[in-house]
Amino acid sequence: MNEQYFSIFIDETKEYLQALNDSLLKLERNKEDIEAVNETFRALHTLKGMAGTMGFDSMTKLCHKMEQVLDMVRSGNLKIDDTLLDKLFLGIDVLDKILKSIIESGNESLKDFDLDELIASFSQVSEQRKEVNKPEEAESKTEESHTFQGKLEIDDSVKRVIESAVSKGFEAYYLKVILEEGTVFKAVRAYMVFQKIEQIGGEILLCSPPVEELEEEKFDRDFEIIIVVRDKKKEEVRDALMSISEIENVVIQNAKVKQMSSDGVNKVYAEKAIAKTGSPEKPEPKAKKRRLTQTVRVDIDKLDTLMNLMGELVISRSRIIDTLKRYNIKDVDESLSQLSRITLDLQNIVMKVRMVPVAFVFNRFPRMVRDLSKQLGKEINFVIKGEETELDRTFVEEIGEPLLHLIRNAIDHGIESKEERLALGKPPTGNVVLSAHHEGNNVVIEVQDDGRGIDKNDVLKHAIERGLVTESEAAGYSDEKIFEFLFTPGFSTKDEASEVSGRGVGMDVVKNVVGSLNGNVSIESLPGKGTTVSIRLPLTLAIIQALLVRVKSLVYAIPIANIDSTLSISHDEIQNIQDREVIVIRGEIIPITKLWETLQIPHNKVGESMNVVIVKVGNKKHGIIVDALIGQEDIVIKSLGKLFLDVKEFSGGAILGDGSIALILNVTNII
Amino acid sequence: MNNEFEVLVYQVGKQDMAFDVEYVGMVIEKPEITPVPRSKQTIKGVTNLRGRIVPVIDLGKCLGLDDSGDASEQTWNVIVVNWEDIEAGFLVNSVRGVLRCSDAEVEQVSKVEKFGEKSKGIIKKDEKLIVYLSVDQILGELTAISELK
Repeated sequence: MNEQYFSIFIDETKEYLQALNDSLLKLERNKEDIEAVNETFRALHTLKGMAGTMGFDSMTKLCHKMEQVLDMVRSGNLKIDDTLLDKLFLGIDVLDKILKSIIESGNESLKDFDLDELIASFSQVSEQRKEVNKPEEAESKTEESHTFQGKLEIDDSVKRVIESAVSKGFEAYYLKVILEEGTVFKAVRAYMVFQKIEQIGGEILLCSPPVEELEEEKFDRDFEIIIVVRDKKKEEVRDALMSISEIENVVIQNAKVKQMSSDGVNKVYAEKAIAKTGSPEKPEPKAKKRRLTQTVRVDIDKLDTLMNLMGELVISRSRIIDTLKRYNIKDVDESLSQLSRITLDLQNIVMKVRMVPVAFVFNRFPRMVRDLSKQLGKEINFVIKGEETELDRTFVEEIGEPLLHLIRNAIDHGIESKEERLALGKPPTGNVVLSAHHEGNNVVIEVQDDGRGIDKNDVLKHAIERGLVTESEAAGYSDEKIFEFLFTPGFSTKDEASEVSGRGVGMDVVKNVVGSLNGNVSIESLPGKGTTVSIRLPLTLAIIQALLVRVKSLVYAIPIANIDSTLSISHDEIQNIQDREVIVIRGEIIPITKLWETLQIPHNKVGESMNVVIVKVGNKKHGIIVDALIGQEDIVIKSLGKLFLDVKEFSGGAILGDGSIALILNVTNII
Repeated sequence: MNNEFEVLVYQVGKQDMAFDVEYVGMVIEKPEITPVPRSKQTIKGVTNLRGRIVPVIDLGKCLGLDDSGDASEQTWNVIVVNWEDIEAGFLVNSVRGVLRCSDAEVEQVSKVEKFGEKSKGIIKKDEKLIVYLSVDQILGELTAISELK
């Protein structure tokens, strides 16, 4: 199998499964929503086609059965109810499982699942209704039927074959196959039609346009064939062919040969035609086309390479500027500023190319929430806000798991049971809000619930029990500091006696992932009112603006996003309050840190005036004292690698114009 | 079985030591090393290797040798090795060259007591004794420490 098609298949299947989940959820909210039924049907139909093309039979079969059921809903012969929805959801889960198995092992065998049983259960649903629907179906047939005059020219030999075949009890059919508008691989579809006919034991007598032209795609979107086949009804043949994707319609008629005119040309015409019952106005092809023109799939590796090259370019630019400054060359100033502008634009575009809406990861949660709330018997009103907020795609891929933990925690441990809520005078339905928004150069993702909140005394009790902190130490702790314990690996407030599971599970995972993305997590909670967990991530991870500062001969970079202001103070301005060094600026008390002390760099000289960089973390200000401010520069963040995982003070390194390395301060961990 | 293999021989202090040549990417002479405060004692810092930031490990400290002779005074080199997905440099004094030797010449001196698992034995060649070090073990131990914290 062609690798390229395979990966496209995987990607698209994922998208369609997501779309299926979405439309089924829509349907669950409003069982009469016929548009949702149509969406589901179309997604299944396309998926079936794709799976068929790739030769994944189980997937094709399952899609087909589900599609049949939905078709009946669409035609009003079946009502959507909860059992049916559950079955459809299950079907999608199984499709997802098949996909995973395909990704992992290349084949679609499911070890611990009886696919046939599921397929049979879908068949049952459609069978049950068939009886009831028969008269109606017949009616629609007559409505839509029309006599079709074929224009297929046949010669005497074919005519004789047809006649003899018919006399021997074979059926001869005239078929007109119409492909969907915008079908990409027309020749492939035609080939699949032929193959299908052979599979059901049919033989192709004649084809127009001729096979060679079909292979070269020299046809619009329909072609005609005459086949002979034994013991197959028209409907069976048509159904078989309709299961191929991107076939819009198949007109099938009994072929009868009749002398048409004196010029000796035979024409085929048919009596009793059956037209397809499917809807003639299909919006799907249109939608497909639109998507094709708007986006192109690009290998993520190529994007990464582009990003790296962009980084090199930025470094080279600073290097050139450095050199020119050194030799005091002014003639190129203008072209240089032009170059800077272009690189900046380019950089912005490259960055944007890598951005995807958080919807990509948010979309999978409604389904999870539904399943979980059913399982726990809680009513949850799950709201997603700001899903259009864009984020670097690396983040989007990584952030899924942490969010999963947070949402699960919110529903499992945050939201109380219905009875409990009523007793507390809260509405019985719990609210869980997943939101994303920009905040300066950060993206903030929040999971908020209106459940029971976290009891900080309980957290503290467990922290003391585990020896993470002593009672006396903990006395002065802020709420924030106490909730920090929840991120300790293995920490849980689970209390066997009360059978209330704790909030700690999986929180260390959240912290780790977010930390590795240069972000941070914080918890706010009010007992009885609910909990909000906020994840703050930098907008991009590759190129940032930073202020370069110097301590002795070492250069460090502080991300501009963290900086509030810079100022120069004299030594006397530093005061001591509660053993902390602080400065007072416009009435505001700001604690300060000497960078060399934090980094344990031997340092003796303290001059009269000192440079302070005021950084902002959350809404707290903090001053960092350095020897000198060098200037602002675009830097490319590079990871320091595994060997420095234990160094929390730096989030990475950057290569400067002169080839030297500036370490990037992780401001949150410095102060 | 008498397998032949190649090692890169270098000096740390006065001692000859060797790595399997297959791990070695390159040797750089006197690169500029930026110290990383608060990192492990055994790590000298990071260096810019063609646009990549590569950690430099002080091999002498790593093996628990006393800093015999200040490295900065003498010639010093960084041997860049690739192990699993890690690229790292080892700070050594001088690089002697590639040596071809065979299994027979390696003596399993019950794991040269001082270096423990970090050495795979002693290579005896032309009256010389070369400590045959294990890149896997050294880097494995260092990353394990980082990940623990």
